[in-house]
Amino acid sequence: MVKEFNAAAGAEVSAEVSREEFTSVMTALEPDQIVSTKEHHHCPRRRLTRTEMLLFWALRIYLVFMVGVVVYQIWTSVR
Amino acid sequence: MKETKTASEPRGLTIPRSNALNEDALNDQRKPGSDVVITHEDIDRAHDRERVSEMRAQHGFRPRLRLFWLLIGPGILVMLGENDGPSMVSYAATGARFGIGFFVPFIALTFLMACVVQEMTVRLGAATHRGHAELIFDRFGPFWGWFSMIDLMVGNFLTLVTEFIAIRAGLGFFGVRPAVAVLGALLVLSVALMTHRYWTWERIILGAAMFNLMFVPVALMTHPHWGTVGRALVTGRPLPGGLTQETVLVLLADIGATVTPWMLFFQQSAIADKGLTTRDIRFGRVDTVLGAALATVAALATMLATAPLFMHHMSAANFEAAEFAQALQPFVGHWGAALFALGIFEAGMVAAITISTSSAYAFGEVARRPHSLNLPFKQGRAFYLVLLVEAAAAAGLVLIPGIPLVYIVLLVNVIAVLAMPPALLFLYMLVNDREIMGALVSPLWANVLALGVVIVLIGAGLLFGVSVIAPNALALVGGK
Repeated sequence: MVKEFNAAAGAEVSAEVSREEFTSVMTALEPDQIVSTKEHHHCPRRRLTRTEMLLFWALRIYLVFMVGVVVYQIWTSVR
Repeated sequence: MKETKTASEPRGLTIPRSNALNEDALNDQRKPGSDVVITHEDIDRAHDRERVSEMRAQHGFRPRLRLFWLLIGPGILVMLGENDGPSMVSYAATGARFGIGFFVPFIALTFLMACVVQEMTVRLGAATHRGHAELIFDRFGPFWGWFSMIDLMVGNFLTLVTEFIAIRAGLGFFGVRPAVAVLGALLVLSVALMTHRYWTWERIILGAAMFNLMFVPVALMTHPHWGTVGRALVTGRPLPGGLTQETVLVLLADIGATVTPWMLFFQQSAIADKGLTTRDIRFGRVDTVLGAALATVAALATMLATAPLFMHHMSAANFEAAEFAQALQPFVGHWGAALFALGIFEAGMVAAITISTSSAYAFGEVARRPHSLNLPFKQGRAFYLVLLVEAAAAAGLVLIPGIPLVYIVLLVNVIAVLAMPPALLFLYMLVNDREIMGALVSPLWANVLALGVVIVLIGAGLLFGVSVIAPNALALVGGK
């Protein structure tokens, strides 16, 4: 999956990367700013605690309910 | 592992670890034997960072000023971008319907909330160099990631529709036909992308965003009574007419005009795309506060500009964006009205660009496709297509005649407020995640402020729910 994401994938070679460009990238960018490096190192998934899970679900239910309220308001206005 | 350059690499050089030209400079964290692929995107970003390093190495006022110029952008763009079509119409409707008494300090307060929220994205973007959607997917998994993406995409699309309504309405004042206005806006959006360079794109949009301040001269033309404005700002006044269904809707619309989910995604991704690092966080904060200050001035000016409609007891219920300009003509003259209409057009145009860009960033991050404004079209095809297709679909919808603009824009802002608490929970957890933030986790004061914003937003949402489902119950919380 990681290999599939290569910023260079799917296009043709248009020019060589010069030594200057390579040096410029390596010195000016922090290591994890380089696209290919970022793609090799994804942030690991974290385990959610019960409280966090509860909060996620509570806010999700809140959002669904409130969207229902908006739809209801639109419906009553149209009527 | 790629060992050689292949035909599928555009301007890319794959360097096996053993053959690296500058092996010492390579990141030790990389897996042994893994490759570094230098892309066009990396080269462009490196050039930008070289200029930053050059300025940072110099001393004196001018280099500092130049450094500031190089590092600002995402904060101003996100704040002025959020002063979009629906927001300006919300402020105009507020001024025309309620005057300035209560709402001058209220709107200033909403921008303070925006600062609190956006500051977190500055730290997150600079510390991780990753976009918001990518971090949510990586840290919380696809289940919650997709929820957050659906919230973003639906909200962005609805907002984009209203941006094109604003564009149509603003140019409509000058007699431009809706189809021409909308197609012209799509053309401008596409031309801005043709730079294929984040820096150039950012400067163009920053320049355009400054026209948001066009509402200031219009406000001055109405000769506001500054003593009253100052008193309103400092003392605050009771909500005119008390708490009613209408005032709750306007309150929420004004909050939604400053704090919305797309802003989180846009600023963090833009900071990663610009290449800001932890050393730049201070500038990122100044950038955000400056943007909020400019946006507050433009928002208050819009309200002041339409306040004469309130003072002359004119009903704003049926005003659409360009009609506000027409209604103002007796007070500010033709030029003032024209500036107001241009301001509405500009607000819609800049926001259409920034909001569609935030969708494209999020899509690229989640679909693991290249996502940068530094990409040539060929390499960033999916990124640019998402951006353009979303904008084109929203633009197409706007050409449907008879859309009730004011009502739709108020509701879009309300939806933005309702979607904020879940989005803020993700942000809050990410910015307190020591594993990715290290020493840059939020200090206590920032967490207290952030929780305060969440409580205000949830409270406002629930108040709106009560006002719709049981309007009479508003009396229990001091309403009528």
